[in-house]
Amino acid sequence: MKVKRLTELSLMTGISLSLFALEMLIPNPFPIPGIKLGLANIVTVFAIYRYSAKETLLVLLARILLSSMFSGSLTTLLYSLTGGLLCFSGMLLLRKWVNEKHMYISSVIGAILHNIGQISAAIAVTKTMAIISYLPFLLVSGCLAGAFTGLCAQMAAGRIRGRN
Amino acid sequence: MKRHWILLVICAPVLVLSAALSIWALNAPGGNVAVIERDGEVLKRIDLAIDQEITIEYKDSCNVIEVSGGKIRVKEALCPDQTCVKMGWLKSGAFPIVCLPNHLVIEFERPDYADADAVSG
Repeated sequence: MKVKRLTELSLMTGISLSLFALEMLIPNPFPIPGIKLGLANIVTVFAIYRYSAKETLLVLLARILLSSMFSGSLTTLLYSLTGGLLCFSGMLLLRKWVNEKHMYISSVIGAILHNIGQISAAIAVTKTMAIISYLPFLLVSGCLAGAFTGLCAQMAAGRIRGRN
Repeated sequence: MKRHWILLVICAPVLVLSAALSIWALNAPGGNVAVIERDGEVLKRIDLAIDQEITIEYKDSCNVIEVSGGKIRVKEALCPDQTCVKMGWLKSGAFPIVCLPNHLVIEFERPDYADADAVSG
């Protein structure tokens, strides 16, 4: 891996961790586990369209591991990891299908997959089917948050392309 | 039809259906008996008519559960996210209180596994 690429990817990881830290400071009005804005996903959506699958995966894994260490809840690592990887695979498949101008749609589908992954992991770990009743709430918030983060990534991509 | 429109047409029903289900879940009727579960096993059946405070321990952590005036909630928790405390009183039969770090679930007892005592008593 070239030094320039490595630096760019490290920068991506750094930005996503900063966004994660920023989001921790915003009080969450919804007392439901798993509902969040997911600002860090802006970087994932952006990276999917800019870097190779392997490079994006590296950024994603580094961010998920480090962010759960920062937030001090390693128990939720498994849920984020399952959701994150499912979301990543979905967006990777959509990369060829949806062009860069419609990134936000990939992001919404990614968010839906993320929620499904999260809930499945939570059900598997706690062996409690009742958790599935959280899924509709997560999906509503996921679709909205996914569209928002997708639009952010799309705008960032537009600006960066203009400069290069 | 452009490809991204097809995807939007898939997303829209997901959003609408989820919103409808969310509203339904929030309004599902509750009951008089709650159960505290961990990893699929019932730890305690709680009659909500009796006011009490129960501490459920889990490894180094614990949840303090309060029953008061026919309602149940998590009063305190030693977990980092405090989501279960913020959820407040258990209101809906379809929407349990969950503490993911402590693997704890509190929900109204479902009719299908209510035992004979609940029926006769």
